[in-house]
Amino acid sequence: MLEVNYCKRIQEQIALYLDDELEGQEKIEVQTHLQTCESCKQTYEQVKSLLTQIHQIKPLYPAPITLRKSIEKILDDAPSPYQASPELHNKVLAILETAKESKERKASKLYYKKVFVALAATLVIFVMSFSYWINYNKSISNSTSEFALMAVDTHLRHQKGQLPLEINSNSAEDISKWFANKLSFGVKLPNYQEVSGQEKLYQLEGGRLVGFKNDYAAYISYKMQNRPITLVVTSSSVATPSGGEEIISKGLTFHYSVIRDLKVISWTDRGLTYALISDLAERGQQSCIVCHSGTEDKDFIDGLKIKS
Amino acid sequence: MVNKDIDFRQVALEHLDALYGFAMVLTRNQTEAEDLVQETYLRAMRAFGQLVPDSNLKSWLFTIMRNIWRNQIRHIRSGPQFVEISSDELQSNSSAYFESDQDPHMLLVRKVEQETVRAAIEKLPEHFREIIVLRDLENFSYQQIANILDCPAGTVMSRLARARTQLNILLNQWQNLATQR
Repeated sequence: MLEVNYCKRIQEQIALYLDDELEGQEKIEVQTHLQTCESCKQTYEQVKSLLTQIHQIKPLYPAPITLRKSIEKILDDAPSPYQASPELHNKVLAILETAKESKERKASKLYYKKVFVALAATLVIFVMSFSYWINYNKSISNSTSEFALMAVDTHLRHQKGQLPLEINSNSAEDISKWFANKLSFGVKLPNYQEVSGQEKLYQLEGGRLVGFKNDYAAYISYKMQNRPITLVVTSSSVATPSGGEEIISKGLTFHYSVIRDLKVISWTDRGLTYALISDLAERGQQSCIVCHSGTEDKDFIDGLKIKS
Repeated sequence: MVNKDIDFRQVALEHLDALYGFAMVLTRNQTEAEDLVQETYLRAMRAFGQLVPDSNLKSWLFTIMRNIWRNQIRHIRSGPQFVEISSDELQSNSSAYFESDQDPHMLLVRKVEQETVRAAIEKLPEHFREIIVLRDLENFSYQQIANILDCPAGTVMSRLARARTQLNILLNQWQNLATQR
């Protein structure tokens, strides 16, 4: 039964595999399975054959010669996209003429001194802006940890339907049990909502394994007011949070950054490294309630707020 | 990817066949398709300055074309309606396709040739036709298609799967009918 489900999952991914929409562990998983499973291999060949058949009809309709000629004419007749319009051209000429006359009238030492000061100031500002820009880009490119990038990538792919959950459950206990013996580290999900009986602020959806550095990491999916939140956990021996903005709260250093428009908070605690992904407000600190929804943790979540 | 220093004319012309094919898929009418292509190039010329460097020019042209078409459709809908062939109608239509032809042997030959696939694509509803063309002929990624169609990437994936299934069913039906004759 387990094998049938596995084949079903692989068969669902065959089109994605052929469309080059799978990456990393998932791609390897499909490749490996196809080498050993005749039934899935047959499905793969059928889909591949259909796609080849379709691709072979390209071009679907070659453009008629008359159309090609009229398009060429459109492209030839139109001005270059970067050519200034005649109106702008005339305006600039007028400005230059005025400036020339003005220059002749005000050709005094004081005038040149002012111009020199203005030019020097402009140059200083330009150099400062340029070096800031260089450093800014350097800090961005150096800041993002590989683990955070992987976490964002898996979050996005799950949203696109490319990374289905391997366990669908809203029970923290069931998901923790499912991860047991599958990972080289232990994961025990807290669930304050179940313990405290408080109003449900978020829903636990399930989890799956994701490949990272030749090992598996735990991928846990939540929803808060229909907005997805992902928690990815791995061993701190393979991932260290780095870069971004550092915020120290309750003795832990949190790294906050924005990657592909998503808020990423990553940290290490007791041998595990975490990355929490969401599109929530500010630094996405509200996503922390998936583990810290008790009122005693309010200070902790507030610690990540942007200070006004 | 677009480097703005390169010749827009040359790069834009490379995509003419692809754009015309997409226009035919949308309009199913040669005159309308030609008008649509011309309008697309005119708008692209005007908006080229707004194109972000290193953007995908091809994907940008397809997006412009589809937006023009969607706007035209809104106007057309106030006039006579264009009737799509639903999936339920495919079976009867596929039989009609064979009934109308005189030589079943020739059909069998044609079926394995490109014309059959082209005809099968034409039989699909518009939202299936366009997604098949964008992915299976023009090789756009799911994300690029999502941008062109202005829908989530998840929708692209599910719609593409349904379109391919329907196309496959249609091709198999035709193949079976041809074999029986």
